[in-house]
Amino acid sequence: MWSYEKRLQFPVNIKEPNAKLAQVIMSQYGGPDGEMGASMRYLSQRYATPYREVSGLLTDIGTEELAHLEMVAAIVHQLTRNLSMEEIEKSGFAPYYTDHTIGIWPQAAGGVPFNACEFQSKGDVITDLFEDMAADGTPL
Amino acid sequence: MQDYNFDERFEHYPIAMAYVPWQHLSQIYENLEEAFEIGTIFPELDKPFTGRRVIS
Amino acid sequence: MNNFSSEQSRMLKDISIIDFTLVELNEYLDTHPHDRQAMEYFNHYARIKNQMARDFSARYFPLTADMSTDTKDWNWVLSPMPWESSFGEGGCK
Repeated sequence: MWSYEKRLQFPVNIKEPNAKLAQVIMSQYGGPDGEMGASMRYLSQRYATPYREVSGLLTDIGTEELAHLEMVAAIVHQLTRNLSMEEIEKSGFAPYYTDHTIGIWPQAAGGVPFNACEFQSKGDVITDLFEDMAADGTPL
Repeated sequence: MQDYNFDERFEHYPIAMAYVPWQHLSQIYENLEEAFEIGTIFPELDKPFTGRRVIS
Repeated sequence: MNNFSSEQSRMLKDISIIDFTLVELNEYLDTHPHDRQAMEYFNHYARIKNQMARDFSARYFPLTADMSTDTKDWNWVLSPMPWESSFGEGGCK
């Protein structure tokens, strides 16, 4: 079960649109090390641990990653507001625009769609935690 | 979960495994707005990224 | 773009600061469930967050649907979505 709070975890107020930047930041949404993969990783792995402390932590971190996902989407959304066709072409945003216009769609910076192969869930808590360290790098 | 002391037992740990030291609560930032900007309320977890590595 | 007053923006930011503190303490307590000091911090800030969220919801719009107060209209959906720009000034630019 989840509930929604109507605010971003950290404020996002972008003044100038920048489609080139949007395409790079998009990777943090649906790329190999993005928030979508992070959230799905923790929320999927939490069933495989015999420790309540760990399944509880994975639940809460997986939930927090959804709040991060929303902030990244807000950044991309605000970076692509009020763009002219000329700006879209000049900034290299045209391939994305062709398929999604300025809709938010989970993909990596290079255009690879979000894929569950970006994370692992092996049914063993130690194996999963090693994968988490590789994926998250620092305790985020 | 057990509260292992990283320093004392380190010599006895099996090789070829990775370990993460246990966090002990010391203090949290007094200025919570500053903590909000930094991204953690725990001073010991404040590790700014410099482009290549973090400042430990 | 929303047109939050500076008072509204400040309240929302203060809520976010306290809630971030709670998220951090929550995750620490998940692996340290018997840490008395962390428990005290959590209980203290949880009370503050609760009061702030209620004050904000009564004055501006419900932060969660169940914080809807006694209004004629369904302000949960009439209020701005968070990505319309968050707290006025400040934050990621």
